[in-house]
Amino acid sequence: MVEDAGRIVVSGLTKRFDSVIAVDDLSFAAEPGSVTGFLGPNGAGKTTTLRMLVGLVVPDAGGATIGGRRYTTSAAPGREAGVVLEAAGFHPGRSGRNHLRVCCTACGYPLSRADDVLERTGLTEAGGRRVRGYSLGMRQRLALATALLGDPAVLILDEPANGLDPEGIAWLRNLLQDYARRGRTVLFSSHTLPEVEQLAERVVIISRGKLLRAGPLAELTAGQGGLERVFLSLTATAGDSPRSGGARS
Amino acid sequence: MTRLIAAEFRKLLTTRLWLWILLVSAAWTILYTALVILLNNRAGELVPALSTTAGQHALFAIAAGGAGPLVAVLAVAEVAGEYRHRTAATTFLATPHRRLVVAAEVITFLLAGVGYAVACIVINLVVALPWLAGNGIHVSVFGNGNAGVLGAVVISVAVFGMIGAGLGAALHNQLVTVTAMLLYLYVLEPLISHIASLHSWTPYLPGVAADGLTQAIQSGVRLLSPWAGGLVFAAWALAFAVAGAAVTARTDIT
Repeated sequence: MVEDAGRIVVSGLTKRFDSVIAVDDLSFAAEPGSVTGFLGPNGAGKTTTLRMLVGLVVPDAGGATIGGRRYTTSAAPGREAGVVLEAAGFHPGRSGRNHLRVCCTACGYPLSRADDVLERTGLTEAGGRRVRGYSLGMRQRLALATALLGDPAVLILDEPANGLDPEGIAWLRNLLQDYARRGRTVLFSSHTLPEVEQLAERVVIISRGKLLRAGPLAELTAGQGGLERVFLSLTATAGDSPRSGGARS
Repeated sequence: MTRLIAAEFRKLLTTRLWLWILLVSAAWTILYTALVILLNNRAGELVPALSTTAGQHALFAIAAGGAGPLVAVLAVAEVAGEYRHRTAATTFLATPHRRLVVAAEVITFLLAGVGYAVACIVINLVVALPWLAGNGIHVSVFGNGNAGVLGAVVISVAVFGMIGAGLGAALHNQLVTVTAMLLYLYVLEPLISHIASLHSWTPYLPGVAADGLTQAIQSGVRLLSPWAGGLVFAAWALAFAVAGAAVTARTDIT
């Protein structure tokens, strides 16, 4: 399916946790060559959607494909999609470099890839240190380094700007836009509007697990007075108020 | 599969727990070897006289076999630790086929168990042989069926590793799994296995089957033969591995 190369297609995704419906018949696509922002209030279902995309959470209905294939059926998933998860986990006693080398071994990449991505993410110096001593920003960079190991066609990132300082955000923006310019697909989630305005060309807005709007950012905000107003009016119409506590969605 | 096992070994060796467990296993081996020898032929003896075949078997089985539960603890800590440290997501992103990952973990701790067993056997022999020779007891490693006991110890520790990996994959909680496992092995099972009226089935319990494999002496406990004990113990390990794979395959990693 050449026409699907690098495309992320979500169709009819649905997931319930006990009695709560986290994602409700959600469909959208993210296109190669662009950065798509995945926007919604806390608890809107962003994290659950992204985790279903890569098989970490099993949907109750619907499905998602990356490059025309489900992530879990790919022979080399690390080359299809690089994934940065919110609050990504690292063993505190393992060094950043060894964390990456474990991934290299599991995926069959040469160990030298670990040093390549450490350099790409500015962690060369810190690579030998145990993750226990990393700041939140360094952990985000290490998560991104992990995602870049397979030089994937698609980058999927959950709240990637969390913990980054302004310099870090600028660096992230360059990296993501550079990635998209090379014809690849970038999909990232965020609940912070300025971040999305800075990083994304296209947006997908969801609330309570349902799609509210999807399209080019410029088109969506034209004559509307900025993303904030569009977002607030959309989520208000949806009868939503951001749920409390920053619950994991 | 080789790739996944290599990755699991890289995980194991790039943190320090394996080393601590090795040190504790070594300390256990030295302590028990010394105890068994010091208490030889004294009142309240731990094992039969070391000049006898039974005494020598017990020396090897008890002292070197102590690594088994420790390797199981290591395996639980590593496999269930994936959920505690949230590294499971990274693991399953690299290898979405989760049953393969669990299989690789089980094989990894089987192999690690062989390594720990060999290390403890070497320590056991290095401490025991010269000491016993000094007391005028000459023990042949390959005589008296001693080599068979040492082989059984290697298998036992390796299967303990598999059991730890399977349980860790099934229960996902380090503390609960380690606590439950140790309470079972050191409290519950010894209590049950001493009840004579239950002796028709207690030999088939995992820890008692393991004792059957190595013929570790437990007075008042009915043991299976080494072959039967080994097969039953291995069957438990496979059952835990299958359960671990089934649970892991359908767990949402949130």
